[in-house]
Amino acid sequence: MKTAVSSGTDRYREMRRVFRQLRRNRLSMLGLLIISFFLLCAILAPLLAPYDPVIPNFAYALRQPSPQHLLGTDELGRDLLSRMLFGARTSLGIGFISVIIGAAAGVPLGALSGYYGGKLDLFLQRGIDVLIAFPGILLAIIVVSIMGVGLENAMIAIGVASIPVYTRLTRGSVLALKEMEYITAAKALGLSDARIIIRHILPNCLSPLIVQSTFQVATAILWAAGLGFLGLGAQPPSPEWGAMLSRGRVFMRTYPFLTTIPGLAIFLVVLGFNLFGDGLRDSLDPRARKY
Amino acid sequence: MTEQLVRIENLKKYFPVRTGVLSRTTGFIKAVDDISFSVNKGETYGLVGESGSGKSTTGRVILQLQQPTSGKVFFRDREISTLNSRQLHAMRKEMQIVFQDPYSALNPRMTVGEAIAEGLAAHRLAAGRGLQEMAISVMESCGLSAYHYSRYPHEFSGGQRQRIVIARALSLQPSFVVADEPVSALDVSIQAQIINLLKNLQEKYHLTYLFISHDLGVVRHVSDNVGVMYLGTLVEEAPKKEFYAHPLHPYSKALLSAVPTTDPLAKKQRIALKGQIPNPAAPPPGCRFHTRCPHVMTVCRDTVPLLRTVAPGHSVACHLV
Repeated sequence: MKTAVSSGTDRYREMRRVFRQLRRNRLSMLGLLIISFFLLCAILAPLLAPYDPVIPNFAYALRQPSPQHLLGTDELGRDLLSRMLFGARTSLGIGFISVIIGAAAGVPLGALSGYYGGKLDLFLQRGIDVLIAFPGILLAIIVVSIMGVGLENAMIAIGVASIPVYTRLTRGSVLALKEMEYITAAKALGLSDARIIIRHILPNCLSPLIVQSTFQVATAILWAAGLGFLGLGAQPPSPEWGAMLSRGRVFMRTYPFLTTIPGLAIFLVVLGFNLFGDGLRDSLDPRARKY
Repeated sequence: MTEQLVRIENLKKYFPVRTGVLSRTTGFIKAVDDISFSVNKGETYGLVGESGSGKSTTGRVILQLQQPTSGKVFFRDREISTLNSRQLHAMRKEMQIVFQDPYSALNPRMTVGEAIAEGLAAHRLAAGRGLQEMAISVMESCGLSAYHYSRYPHEFSGGQRQRIVIARALSLQPSFVVADEPVSALDVSIQAQIINLLKNLQEKYHLTYLFISHDLGVVRHVSDNVGVMYLGTLVEEAPKKEFYAHPLHPYSKALLSAVPTTDPLAKKQRIALKGQIPNPAAPPPGCRFHTRCPHVMTVCRDTVPLLRTVAPGHSVACHLV
């Protein structure tokens, strides 16, 4: 009987199962396509952009889309397409990095809080209560004002501001899961708490966390726009979708493309992450796989 | 001479009831209230009683999955409720549990093989290739096949899952297994298979079982000794034959009268108990069974009957006896 030789190949086989399942899911592949498209734009921005994204050219201010300027120009005469391409770097960066920070801090805190309960839980959750009492954007503003203005600090601030959401979500799932009998069985087998949390509890919390993360990418981009608008995020003139969206608002009646194009880009990125996230959630769950 | 493997003395497990904003303890659920018994090596002790009588809690406290409120648990004459975490880890290898619901007893995101091999790895009993071979040999002894190794639990039926749960428990080659209603969630036809599997494994590996059940028919088939629990206390304990031939406690009699027989013409008098099991947070004074007992006397309402030995190995807590 040929079966997996060691746990190393087991994990490899499991990963192949996940990928095969993911490939079969058309919608999630569409999501991946959208994400890859924007990633490529971000990476290849210097090669693809026809103009400098920052230097103003007042002679061409506020032009409608034309062969010279495929997406038109903004109020300072900067080519919108070039700004969109460079903006992809900033906005995707904000989305990714703040989600990673939020999840990396929030998930372990929530898991520990839910698993051990007692005083630790009480202490952590009252702290989280305080954080949740502030709207996320306000929390981000507080963090930025402590750490100083700038794009990197804005990313960290948004990440920190999303910690409470991850902590609550994880804690809730853990509280339900730790009553399951397979957790009791794991204890009876003598597994360590760390192993029980990592191998038995966290994999079963994944579904809500993945969905939350895909939404959080969108929220982060919008918060970054808010911070930019207040002068706390990406500093003008550097291009960033959210900031472009809010600046274009002034010209919405006369030059609607200045808002629709960044808005559409944010929408597509969010859609891409949602579709891909849904597919990922399904293919990671053995019960949802189709053979 | 039979040798004791597990012995519990005056075991109590109270769960605090917390209410209000300050979550002050306002009372206790007396899930297990002062019980003592012992399980002989290689034998099966059947613990019976209705839902809420504290049977499962007893099993979990013996395995140190829950800390006893007071009382002692001995395993091979060594007290285990005071072990430190390293000693307890070593002890875990000796005692395992099989659950009632095979659906919640298996991690849906872990293959059968991983679940079974996990305990072996945690106790460093095998590694690498040997790990998988050991896991497969346990699976085969429980009626599973090697190709089930990399399947997921949802691909199995209830009976097969219960085999996986049993294989996982036996992977560490324990000497004592708490079987917590292992067949209650299964179809009757599957029940027999699992019971026979448990009996075969007992013979093969000289296992000792604490068999928790509410099904007296099943308990009769597997047990050597029987203990009856009611509302956290042991009301009667006897060797199997003695218990089924001469039950003495009115509660035991009522339970036995409810067991269906295969003879449709047999004349049976069913003793129907009235009402529900009382609230374990406020158990009735005196004999805990007096609210439902058909033979209740004045003395029962205020005096707690003590467990008295009436025949070798047969003890009962009732004022009538």
